[in-house]
Amino acid sequence: MFWEQLDGSLLPLVRTPGATLQVTIYEFLIAFVVLGGLAIIPQSLFYLGFILRNLWRNKIRTALTGFATIVLVLVVTLVWTVLVFLANVTSEKANNLKAIVTERWQIPSQMPYSYAARLTEGAPREPGDVRIDPANDAMTWAFFGGTLDPQNRTRENSLFFFVMEPDRFLTMMDGIDEMSPTDVERIRAAIAVMEKDVTQVMVGHDKLVAMGKKVGESMKISGLNYQGIDMECTICCELPEGRYGQAAVMPRERLNRALDEYERKNRKAHPLAAKCLNLVWLRVPDTKAFQQVERQITTSAEFKSPAVKIETASSGVAGFLDAYKDMLWGLQWILVPFILATMSLIIAMAISISVRERRKEIAVLKVLGFRPGQILILVLGEALMVGGICGIIGSAGTIAYFNLYLGGFKFPIAFFPAFLIPNEALWWGPAIGLGTALIGSLTPSLSACNIRVSEVFSRIS
Amino acid sequence: MIPIVRVTNLTKSFSRGSEKIQVLDNLVLEVPKGQFLALMGPSGSGKTTLLNLIAGLDSPTSGSIVVGDQEIGAMSESQLARWRTRHVGFIFQFYHLLPVLTAYENVELPLLLLPLSASERKRQVLTALDLVGLSDRMSHRPGQLSGGQQQRVGIARAMVTDPDLIVADEPTGDLDSKSAEEILNLLVELKRSLEKTIIMVTHDPKAALYAERVLHLEKGRLVQEVFNPPSPRLAGSIA
Amino acid sequence: MHPTFIMLAFTALLLVVVAVVVPRLGWIGKLLARYNARNIMVRWPITLMLLAAFTLQVGIVVVMLSFVRGLQNLTAGSSVPGNVLVLSEGSTDELFSNLGYRDVSDVERHPLVMRDSDDPDGKPLASWEVYVVVNQPLPLPIIHGRRLGCRFGEESLKLTLVEAGGPLARAGVKPGDSLSSWAGIPLNSLEDIRLLMAGKQAGVIDIGYVRNGAQLSGSLNLDNLINLERSRRFLQVRGIDDPARSLKVHNLKLVTGELFCQAGVRAYGEGDQRRTAVEAVLGEGIARTLGSDINKTSLEPGDMFSLGDSAQPFIVAGVMGSSGSTFDSEIWSKHSLVGRKFGKDSYSTIVLRAAGPIEAEELAKDLTNNFKKAALKAQTETEYYSSLNQTNQQFLYAILFVAVVVGIGGVLGLMNTMFAAISQRIKDIGVLRILGYSGPQVMLAFLFEALLLAVLGGLLGCAAGAIGDGCTANSIISSGAGGGKSVVLRMTVDTPILLAGMATALTMGLLGGLLPAINATFIRPLEALR
Repeated sequence: MFWEQLDGSLLPLVRTPGATLQVTIYEFLIAFVVLGGLAIIPQSLFYLGFILRNLWRNKIRTALTGFATIVLVLVVTLVWTVLVFLANVTSEKANNLKAIVTERWQIPSQMPYSYAARLTEGAPREPGDVRIDPANDAMTWAFFGGTLDPQNRTRENSLFFFVMEPDRFLTMMDGIDEMSPTDVERIRAAIAVMEKDVTQVMVGHDKLVAMGKKVGESMKISGLNYQGIDMECTICCELPEGRYGQAAVMPRERLNRALDEYERKNRKAHPLAAKCLNLVWLRVPDTKAFQQVERQITTSAEFKSPAVKIETASSGVAGFLDAYKDMLWGLQWILVPFILATMSLIIAMAISISVRERRKEIAVLKVLGFRPGQILILVLGEALMVGGICGIIGSAGTIAYFNLYLGGFKFPIAFFPAFLIPNEALWWGPAIGLGTALIGSLTPSLSACNIRVSEVFSRIS
Repeated sequence: MIPIVRVTNLTKSFSRGSEKIQVLDNLVLEVPKGQFLALMGPSGSGKTTLLNLIAGLDSPTSGSIVVGDQEIGAMSESQLARWRTRHVGFIFQFYHLLPVLTAYENVELPLLLLPLSASERKRQVLTALDLVGLSDRMSHRPGQLSGGQQQRVGIARAMVTDPDLIVADEPTGDLDSKSAEEILNLLVELKRSLEKTIIMVTHDPKAALYAERVLHLEKGRLVQEVFNPPSPRLAGSIA
Repeated sequence: MHPTFIMLAFTALLLVVVAVVVPRLGWIGKLLARYNARNIMVRWPITLMLLAAFTLQVGIVVVMLSFVRGLQNLTAGSSVPGNVLVLSEGSTDELFSNLGYRDVSDVERHPLVMRDSDDPDGKPLASWEVYVVVNQPLPLPIIHGRRLGCRFGEESLKLTLVEAGGPLARAGVKPGDSLSSWAGIPLNSLEDIRLLMAGKQAGVIDIGYVRNGAQLSGSLNLDNLINLERSRRFLQVRGIDDPARSLKVHNLKLVTGELFCQAGVRAYGEGDQRRTAVEAVLGEGIARTLGSDINKTSLEPGDMFSLGDSAQPFIVAGVMGSSGSTFDSEIWSKHSLVGRKFGKDSYSTIVLRAAGPIEAEELAKDLTNNFKKAALKAQTETEYYSSLNQTNQQFLYAILFVAVVVGIGGVLGLMNTMFAAISQRIKDIGVLRILGYSGPQVMLAFLFEALLLAVLGGLLGCAAGAIGDGCTANSIISSGAGGGKSVVLRMTVDTPILLAGMATALTMGLLGGLLPAINATFIRPLEALR
């Protein structure tokens, strides 16, 4: 189950920057100013009414164009969610950054548990070295894959445990701030239980549903990567949907005891006994501290067999994502532009058709004294109105549907459990809608301005 | 003479909201085969409604319409469509040719619904176009033809299936007087040489002079019947 | 059911529908077809836009499918039908599998394993392998043990690559820029940087660089120039005992060079400088990738490269003709050397050749159930590689989702056009109906118009998508349950994909045309002419 998840599971734990909400507020301010500006244009209400009436007149066309915009905004929003998320997790942070210690050369990373004590301190040797607080700013991970039915293993009856110090779940894991306070309180209570009784485990909501288990029930897990190790566990807590929907957490102590017991029973150590530490997380205050810790760990004689490496979480993820580079490039530079172009074309068609149908009316407007610029506003306004409004509906709908109803966008790239659509996506929709509407309607609306009155009327008579 | 159209106690009413409008009121009419009949009357008198009913474009509220030997008042819409193809030719005020098709193709349109071979179709289309004097224009699109020429294509299209009955709704309404005269003479010629029954709605008294019999309608009733002397050219010159 | 099959079935269904409908239209069909085709040309600007939209949408679908087809070809091309792949029980992937020397040598003596006819002793056709993934830092210039996080191009100070988030990137430098000064001192060559860096090793300095002829400057924090391993790749290394037999088992051949020798090492250098390097046979894909690090199109026999933390360099002995298989991205070396270097002395895999697919299945079953010395998981290669297609399955779902959503956009655009076409030609429809054409006949005519547009758009889209044919891309394949191989795939557009593209277009045409066409049948002739 594991080498992907080994590195991959880091991803959901890296925090997206908290700046997103601010961006949204700025965008709304901009939107406000634009709307305010609209109010200053003379007779803007007249235009607004006129545009709305024209849109209302061909309800089917407006609805079809609008729906197309909404649907395409949905796809672009989802793709950008993935891209922005990946860009965020791979961009280097200056402060409060997380570092991962793994085995230097091999994948999967497998280190002896004896490394844990010194690594979680940051391996200080001399006075002046940076010392990390192992109880608060460090966590160890091992991965334990198991199944309820070793004879007939399926995706549904298999699960994947983070073997870790239970109390770090709330202090070191990411995505906790996305959980509701009640969930956090529930988990906090469960952690207290797990610290007393190591047979207790937490399992994600989706996984529980898939396995058909409930909180309070017990289950027998047969080890997959730890062959020959079976565990009786009691589910003490359900992790909410989203990042940890498919995951499970068991206390580190539990695995240690299971390995000891195996050795007693079989009179030899488990093959993975010396390889039961997969990675160590450290939190360091800034880049300087990181570099210092890096020096301490890489130069230490304690970690030579196997050798270890330390890297920032973001660079670890970036290295891993290298394999997906081409596909992500394709999403960003082929799929999204294609979709945006399609949107522009659909809007262009709708506006072209409207202009064609309304040649006579536009000619009449010109006879009445409307200037080309005013006609441009009318035609362009229609496109922008549809694009803007449906863009907002599209992105707001996407956020609401995916984040609230589906618990995130479940996209099968790598191993991500789910992507939460960021709040800033709220302005992507209108931006995409307005942008494509503008590009799409430019030519048809210019041709509307250039309609020659004499031609139109000669054709009618 | 055998009547080709026999209308008895024909009533047609529309309801507009709660109001009921009686367009045709217990009308009785017989049209003998080979007659050129003109229907006149002020607008709203029901003349076009009568024409549409006889042509099977609309169904009566009550009464019967027998065309040839068939009662068309009781036919379903699809039966009517099939019946129209074989028995009625239409001439419209605004010609209503399909703009993207050539004159030839426009005339061919109704023939496609009949079980004819390609060569038979071709012969009939060419005959019809020859009859209206447009053999040299058959590959032109409607946009490349004058109004009079377009109407002649319209007449050829109405003739091409060799229908028993030709109905024309204001066929000259959109034409200048010279073209109108040509079209009317063509209709008279068709009637005379091919013995077609023609029913024409018009509000133009001059056009009506070309018909042998003119019926005046008012408020859904026949109010006057006039038989013209059988010389349209003479009638034209008198006017 | 295989998605391609579904697409094919769908296309066939559409063809049947068309085949049934068009002859029924008969002569009417021909003239009405001309009528519709000409109308399409009359409103050509809108037609062009619609075609462009269809082209884009069908093109996306074709490109995405060709990516998946590339992956499928890769897994199909890697398996030999008579081969059985043996892992230790419970391992979902080669990476986690552990087989002892004794297990392997016992397993290969199974009677169903074929013998090597070319070998005098008639050795079994079996490949003993250890598979490890090595975490390889990308070779960016390291000057005085410090990495600038960039790569210089042929014009010595022009940067072809600037590591995102690296020290130079933080100073504002982008790929394509040329470095011009260092702490105020003008630069002439890379050697200048070397000298200047030896002087001042800490603190912040100003650097100058040229972008599009404009002189720009930024500040570079020398403290950041430590040996950060930010860029890396995962190299897949396979330790092999007997390369000749392994190649034979996998049906692979060398294209250049030779196999590695019994000792697995080769001497290089002269006199005191004489050292040994580990010999390796490379897949063509990885040879190209590693070649790009030293500005060559591909590594050739005799070229050296480094691998992991091995102090001993590696030397290319030969290159395998491996394109179209997962071995394309693999480095093969002597088992006893790489196993120890990368921490796995045992074997991960043994691949056995049976006489044919049926024997292979028998062999796999027998080994899994009856081999007592060690718990084994034996499966035919066909089975193993098709389990790696799990990734493709996921991609296909994603593609299906995108195709449907994007398709909805196209359908709506077409609907707009067709509704407008019908309302514009309402008089034409009225005339046709008065002349005796039935509602369904008119409907079919307009449906035909929509389908005609769809077919044209589909053809253009397939053509556009087919441009991607033959492009290479990196990806990962995995069985979903774990493991995974990074691969270089060749995007492939084949007939089923083109048919799928056409099916997409026709479906869009059908859905987008149907509603307006049905709507056309409700037009009342008399009202239409009024």
